[in-house]
Amino acid sequence: MSRRDSPLLPASDAREAALFFVIGALCFLAALAALTTRGTYKAAEAWGAQIEGDITVVMRDTDRRTAEQAANRVASLANVFEARVLSRDEVEELLEPSLGPGGMPDGLPIPMLMVVQADTAVGDPSDDVAEILDELGIDGDVAGNAGYADNVRGALGVLRLVALSIVALLSATAIAVIAFATHAALLARRDIVDVLHLSGAEDRYIAGLFERRFWILALQAGLGGAVTALMVTALIVFTGSGAQGVEAQLLPRLSLDFWDIVILLVTPIMAGLAARLAARITVLASLKETL
Amino acid sequence: MTRFRPDLSDEPAVRLDGVSLAYERTGEVLTELDVVLRQGSFTFLTGPSGAGKSSLLKLMYLAHAPTRGAIRLFGRQTHELKRKQLAALRRRIGVVFQEFRLLNHLTAFENVALPLRVAGQKPDQYQNEVIDLLRWVGLGERVDAPTPSLSGGEQQRVAIARALINKPDLLIADEPTGNVDPEMGRKILRLFVELNKRVGTTILIATHDLELIREFNAPVLRLNNGLLVRDVEYGAAE
Ligand SMILES: Nc1ncnc2c1ncn2[C@@H]1O[C@H](COP(=O)(O)OP(=O)(O)OP(=O)(O)O)[C@@H](O)[C@H]1O
Ligand SMILES: [Mg+2]
Repeated sequence: MSRRDSPLLPASDAREAALFFVIGALCFLAALAALTTRGTYKAAEAWGAQIEGDITVVMRDTDRRTAEQAANRVASLANVFEARVLSRDEVEELLEPSLGPGGMPDGLPIPMLMVVQADTAVGDPSDDVAEILDELGIDGDVAGNAGYADNVRGALGVLRLVALSIVALLSATAIAVIAFATHAALLARRDIVDVLHLSGAEDRYIAGLFERRFWILALQAGLGGAVTALMVTALIVFTGSGAQGVEAQLLPRLSLDFWDIVILLVTPIMAGLAARLAARITVLASLKETL
Repeated sequence: MTRFRPDLSDEPAVRLDGVSLAYERTGEVLTELDVVLRQGSFTFLTGPSGAGKSSLLKLMYLAHAPTRGAIRLFGRQTHELKRKQLAALRRRIGVVFQEFRLLNHLTAFENVALPLRVAGQKPDQYQNEVIDLLRWVGLGERVDAPTPSLSGGEQQRVAIARALINKPDLLIADEPTGNVDPEMGRKILRLFVELNKRVGTTILIATHDLELIREFNAPVLRLNNGLLVRDVEYGAAE
């Protein structure tokens, strides 16, 4: 009959099951908060850039042909993605809220509208657009959204800060709770610590046993929580991808990229380290009380 | 070149000088004790319940530091030792606890093997020894029994085997025969005597069993109310 070393610590008890749940739940929340924050970041970036790049040009006293000509020249500018003149229907649709559904009275002079999608990363094309209008003898106004975008950006900045604070607070809480719960679970194992100690085990040896135990426990629980967060995120991405228009733009942009995977991996490791450190400190402290 | 090495062979195994112990809640339970256990001696410790027998043993097996006074084990001043050195010293002491202190999630075999495992040995190295010792205490059939399934007397014998497994220089046993029948009690005592005679293990046994003390006719330390009443007397209990 050959024997192997069986674990010196008991398999697991209700207290550790509770600890497992606590760590899993906290890691779930922390990972979800981190993922959502990243999503909000990305949405804010995209939304801010888009608003900033939108330029509307109002052209009075001109025909559609000249307007199209202007649009073509604007579109060929280096820092412009797209420029087009809105059709009469589109303009009517835009004005409908102010004019009512009856449609535009015939003969009412309505201005031509050109929408320009600018690449603001290269430079603001407003001045170039105004020049083109001048050259073609069009009386027009160029209205950028840059000022409006600044306000939006300010609001998004506050939002980011709030989200980051929530993630930081949640992570800190998670670490503190994990440490505390580990401490409590360990106090119940005091008898084992004492017997090992009196059998001549060194402090490091005893602490190592508990460190390994709680490191693995927290790692597994943290992974469980993070994977659940991943699944919830995937669900949101999946169901949310159907949404269109403004609502979709305002939703946090959840998708899974490299950094999201990093978040999902870092969460259990942080939990594991917190539990491990707490186990070490608790065991060594309780040993220091003895001779 | 020979290095100078102090010869400690004449040092007592245990030496207490003016040792007192006070617990936080109960106050002083041991007062100004002077005790010497020579290496290779065999001694009984007796006294009424609550006299402080277990407390005195705890000081000797390094579970507590004394509130006052000094303890020397094998010639080493214990309060001067580092934690690592204390651990090494504990490995030279076998202890049978009054309340056994077996680990319930382990089997009889695993409990007995504990001190060897802690010292870094692998199952291959100690397997036969552990089984032999368990056989010797009459538990050959219960080697792999889970600890909670053992009777009080069986658990006590596991505790004794655990105390003996690493061939300690000093054996401290707190009521080691309290839960076994007189016949097993005598058998255990005879093993202790044999260890003492053959290997030179220093042995200190706390017991209420005056019959046993009389029969084995060894020096007796008598505690009462934390004081050493009579130092050493031979087999003259009551
Ligand atoms: N851990 C402790 N904390 C506080 N007081 C204690 C502790 N252990 C023992 N005492 C007290 O110290 C006194 C001596 O106890 P001890 O266990 O040493 O007596 P004993 O002689 O071994 O008794 P018994 O024969 O019943 O085993 C008792 O009054 C007890 O209440
Ligand atoms: Mg006692």
